[in-house]
Amino acid sequence: MKNKIANLLKKKVVILDGATGTQLQKANMMPQGACPEEWCLQNPQLLAAVHSSYRCAGSDIVYACTFGANRFKLKEYNLSNVEEINKNLVGVAKRAVAAKALVAGDIGPTGQFIKPFGDLDFQETVDVFKQQVRGLLAGGVDLFVVETMIDIQEARAALLAIKELTDKFVIVTMTFEGGRTLNGTDPVTAVVTLGSLGADAVGCNCSSGPQDMLKTVAAMKPYATVPIVAKPNAGIPKLVGDRAVFDMGATDFASFAPKFVKAGVNMLGGCCGTTPQHISALVKRTKNIRPLAPLRKSISAVSSARKTVVIDANNPFIVIGERINPTGKKVFKQKLLEGNLSVVRAMAVDQRASGAHLLDVNVGMPDIDEVKTMISVIELLCVATDLPLVIDSSNVAVIEEALRFYPGRALINSISAEEPKFRRLLPLAAKYGAMFILLPLSSKQIPATAAERKVIIKKLFKEAQKLRITKDDIIVDAMAMAVSSDAGAAIQTLKTIEWCSKILKCHTVVGLSNVSFGLPARKWINAAFLALGQRKGLTCAIMDPLHKSLEAVKEAVELLLQKDKMAASYIARFAKVKEKEVISTEKLSPQEKVFRAILEGNREGIKGIIQGAVAAGVNPSTLVYETMIGAITKVGELFDRREYFLPQLIASAETMKQGFSCLKAYLKEEPRVKAGVILLATVKGDIHDIGKNIVALMLSNHGFKVIDLGKDVSAERIVEGIKKYNPAVVGLSALMTTTMVNMGPVINLAEKQSLTARFIVGGAVVTKGYAQSMGADYAKDGVEAVRVVKKIVSKD
Amino acid sequence: MKDLIVFNSIPVSIPKDRVYKRLGYRRDKTRLSSQQRMEIEQYMQEFNNFIKLKGVAKRISIKEKNNLEVVLINDVTFESKHLAALLKDCLEVLFMGVTAGGQIIEQIQKDSSQGNLTKAVVFDAVASEVTDTSLDWICGYINQQLRRENKCLTRRRFSAGYGDFILENQKTLYNTLELKKLGVSITESYMLTPEKSVIAVAGILYRDESSPLK
Repeated sequence: MKNKIANLLKKKVVILDGATGTQLQKANMMPQGACPEEWCLQNPQLLAAVHSSYRCAGSDIVYACTFGANRFKLKEYNLSNVEEINKNLVGVAKRAVAAKALVAGDIGPTGQFIKPFGDLDFQETVDVFKQQVRGLLAGGVDLFVVETMIDIQEARAALLAIKELTDKFVIVTMTFEGGRTLNGTDPVTAVVTLGSLGADAVGCNCSSGPQDMLKTVAAMKPYATVPIVAKPNAGIPKLVGDRAVFDMGATDFASFAPKFVKAGVNMLGGCCGTTPQHISALVKRTKNIRPLAPLRKSISAVSSARKTVVIDANNPFIVIGERINPTGKKVFKQKLLEGNLSVVRAMAVDQRASGAHLLDVNVGMPDIDEVKTMISVIELLCVATDLPLVIDSSNVAVIEEALRFYPGRALINSISAEEPKFRRLLPLAAKYGAMFILLPLSSKQIPATAAERKVIIKKLFKEAQKLRITKDDIIVDAMAMAVSSDAGAAIQTLKTIEWCSKILKCHTVVGLSNVSFGLPARKWINAAFLALGQRKGLTCAIMDPLHKSLEAVKEAVELLLQKDKMAASYIARFAKVKEKEVISTEKLSPQEKVFRAILEGNREGIKGIIQGAVAAGVNPSTLVYETMIGAITKVGELFDRREYFLPQLIASAETMKQGFSCLKAYLKEEPRVKAGVILLATVKGDIHDIGKNIVALMLSNHGFKVIDLGKDVSAERIVEGIKKYNPAVVGLSALMTTTMVNMGPVINLAEKQSLTARFIVGGAVVTKGYAQSMGADYAKDGVEAVRVVKKIVSKD
Repeated sequence: MKDLIVFNSIPVSIPKDRVYKRLGYRRDKTRLSSQQRMEIEQYMQEFNNFIKLKGVAKRISIKEKNNLEVVLINDVTFESKHLAALLKDCLEVLFMGVTAGGQIIEQIQKDSSQGNLTKAVVFDAVASEVTDTSLDWICGYINQQLRRENKCLTRRRFSAGYGDFILENQKTLYNTLELKKLGVSITESYMLTPEKSVIAVAGILYRDESSPLK
């Protein structure tokens, strides 16, 4: 059957069916809220009529009505006979098409979210799908369709469930909106991940009309090793009254067919809102057009759930971040043993920010449950970063579990020619479609020369090819060895790289820092070796991307070797440095520099600038009362005019505060800025206090002594504070309507105890009118709070 | 009543425009130097180290309703004219909850008390916006599922404390959504902690009069 479909795909655009529900609706039978699968089995003649109408319209493949026939969905209707329902629904479809079309077992989402993105166990999900697959097989399906997936992990689970029970043809289609599935998978990642895992055709269905779906197909085609599938809706739903309807007619719909074929579609049908007329029109528009076969047979690419990295000699050099590895890291080891993975997250984020393309993950060390830890780290990294992962372990079980769980196409580090290990690892790479690093090592002794390494590389290539693994799936480790123990080691590695690159035409990698082991100033050796390797055709390096010199050399070599087109990457990386230098070298007077530092919120530089001003003879009092107060007042004006927004206001206020604290050492007396005491609190029941903290900072910069009682403060505590500190003004904040009502009782209690402090209130929902109703003043933000408090204090 | 759906990681990006707007940025007025912008962008980047967006959602059928109240299949009753109006045409409700996690709140407090209020304010704004965006994401996810049933969510959603849908209802929503599982607790005054945890309610209605299949 698989060959039959493959042959069909060579000859023509294979036509799928359209929507089922619309047709059943025409029969006006299915009650709202009914279980579709159960209702169809109770009314098989109506369902059969729909299948038959698609067959008559020209569908080569008809989907059985089993989209929601999985354990989770059927449970919602208190149904548990999953296999029987699937089997019987396939039976209806098969009888309806009478062998004139193929019948696909249709598998839709479970409605649950799968680990690492949800809480449903991955293996449990595979088992749920296997139950459905068994029923579909019992019904005699010709092929399988996994459709409308938004989570690549769920699509993987369904695909694995099918592949582990049968070798029938499998189509997997995902649903994209705005260029990605809702869970963040882009079309290229979908086609790379699912194609490598064994899907026989990959594509998209539902969610968008033909116009938008064309873009998804066009994005997939260049990276696809399998046929492309499209099942668009009948246009974009339009609102008719309160209701959304699909209203694209059959002719308009089918007018997109030639464009789909040109973009690379091999299988075409319809989803929501489409009818047998739409399918019939598609048949007419495609019958004389030959589809484009997949443009490639293999691809060097690894993926996460949300990103694909293509490894290509013409693409930028690939940096594999090496930091997630406990070797030589005592603290990291301890944290891993304790199950504390927060450091892993930070390592991932830092390496990504420093230019890593892939992240190597190694958690191997004594006394650790390596399988469990590896899965936990993968779970964390799938969420913390979009970079694809390199599964690095010497333990076969760890690699197997990691490949099964990882929601992308992984790179294995590594497979050597050691018996019997490679005989276990190569089939795993083949089953999960992973790429792997080939380590030219056949025994415990390391092959010293390039010639010896070539022999092992050829042997492993041959073994891999037997499992249909291609050159594109392999990256050869050219084996960087320490020049401190073998002076010719680097030369042999470079020769290996050159041979792989020019003769074998495959990708290469080195563990860069090995070359400098045992020598001082290792970064220079590493950098030089990297440049030499790149010149010989090295494609990737496992290295520390946080070492700036290595990154810089890599960028420079890319530019010199014309891989960095128009020097775009180099300029983007280094142009910013220049900009900063220009700003800092401007000629200003010492006072102007202080003024400007506050205006710009230069917290890092203010101390040095003030010290410079004092050293240049500027009177410290003048700096405080003229320059700094002048600057912060100017900032307030800019904020009022909306020329500054909140972060700028606060950055300036913080700069001012730091400036004050620095100047204290130079002033003979305390700055005469104690304009009064202000008591601040966020009222009872409210835990949101960032606004109050801003007001505190602003007031302290204007000379007020601020006593901050914190958040969720009771009326009694505030009143005690008034008695204790005798403030000129009490500031109360609340964020919510439900907590702002707690402001009044504070004021009432103070009045009851004959306390004379004035109140100012503020917060997101507090209004001037509300403040007035309590006899309090009001400020909408920190700048206004300063103005209002100053006014109150000056009156008093 | 359908199963609780748990989202261990909600893949939303920082809605930068919304964050800038929340912080008071006005495209036509605010002057921001490239260094200042870079600082804010760096904070947004750093924010990703601390954010752990998780969520839950649950669909519950409506048993009966009138203009004043809505009774759910699990016998929970909400007395609210506003909510009843939102759910006028609905057969089901969707409860959903989202949290940004405790780490980001701890970091905001740390930065706030250790002299980096600028960063704290940016983190606070980003956390608010990504939490809200996460609710949008859950709505999008559920809408995709509903499409196959020929249903959709109401465009508006409600939270306890809006209008006459009193805050006390937060406790019922909290318990139904089993938010404790996500590390969220509820105070005596019905506030969710950690901050930047939110609960919302939307209605589920039929798109049109067609059948609940594709």
